[in-house]
Amino acid sequence: MAMALTVAPTRMELIKLRQRIALAQKGHDLLKDKMDALIMELFDALRRIQDSRAKALEQLSKAYSALSECMAVLGTLETMQAAREAKKDVQLNISTRNIMGIQVPLVEFRDIERNALARGYSLHTTSSLLDNAAREFERALKLLVGLAELEAVAFALARELEKTKRRVNALEYILIPRLKETLKFIMMRLDEIERENFTRLKRIKAIIEERR
Amino acid sequence: MSFKVAAIGDRDTVAGFALAGVAYTYIHSKKEETLAKLNGFLNSREIGLILLTHRVAEELGFELRQMIQKKKLLPMMLRIPDKTGYAPKTDELRDLIRRTVGAEIIVKREGE
Repeated sequence: MAMALTVAPTRMELIKLRQRIALAQKGHDLLKDKMDALIMELFDALRRIQDSRAKALEQLSKAYSALSECMAVLGTLETMQAAREAKKDVQLNISTRNIMGIQVPLVEFRDIERNALARGYSLHTTSSLLDNAAREFERALKLLVGLAELEAVAFALARELEKTKRRVNALEYILIPRLKETLKFIMMRLDEIERENFTRLKRIKAIIEERR
Repeated sequence: MSFKVAAIGDRDTVAGFALAGVAYTYIHSKKEETLAKLNGFLNSREIGLILLTHRVAEELGFELRQMIQKKKLLPMMLRIPDKTGYAPKTDELRDLIRRTVGAEIIVKREGE
């Protein structure tokens, strides 16, 4: 049972309360629409994540096997050495974009894939297996960046959805019932006052007639 | 704005990403040290993406989840399988969706 607010049972309060209920109802409807839209967006994002994740993970496992091959042939130490020497210049351009008032990251990247000369390790001490591994990893990184972006979007959407849902529920199950309960209380009280007045008048009339 | 990428994981994973040009790499050994490093990465203004292997993520456990909860929009964090292909079934996103949307959505998703 919703608790009524403590207000004075007057007509003015009644009018104010009716306005508040109308406003709360309107807000509730709007938030509910927002929630529906968010769910649609989230679905879309999730579907894209599924595809993107499958691709990225496949490429990543390819990259790992290329690296293992390279380590086996070239030797672990040499591979590590090359990894240390490699130029570490991957840059992501990240800006933000708005989906329904929610900030989500938008990633643009210049080509992550480089040619063997640009990678920075010495070419004459390493074999093409290393180039191969590096290339596979560059491709994997590219896909992973895309996946990370999608996940960040979905995460932001889900968070916003959680917030919105909480607000909708607060309105639907707490605030609006409480206001309605108060409305009912005031109306009952006003009716009661009306009846009291009526009986009082009746009684006074009876007394006056008795005196005559 | 341009950002760099960071990777945390075992030696081989990190070596692979270093070959691909990832600027910051860290080889996980002790939980506390990795957490401190990760915190550094999270607060750094020039890192846009942190790659973390599932195995390390699992070892960091609760502290990592807290970090994810508190994290701002950037840097993004992505958990990846390591070279054994190890990836756990649960993930935060799916949990969050289950919590917010409710069970009916999950059923639909599986039906797709």
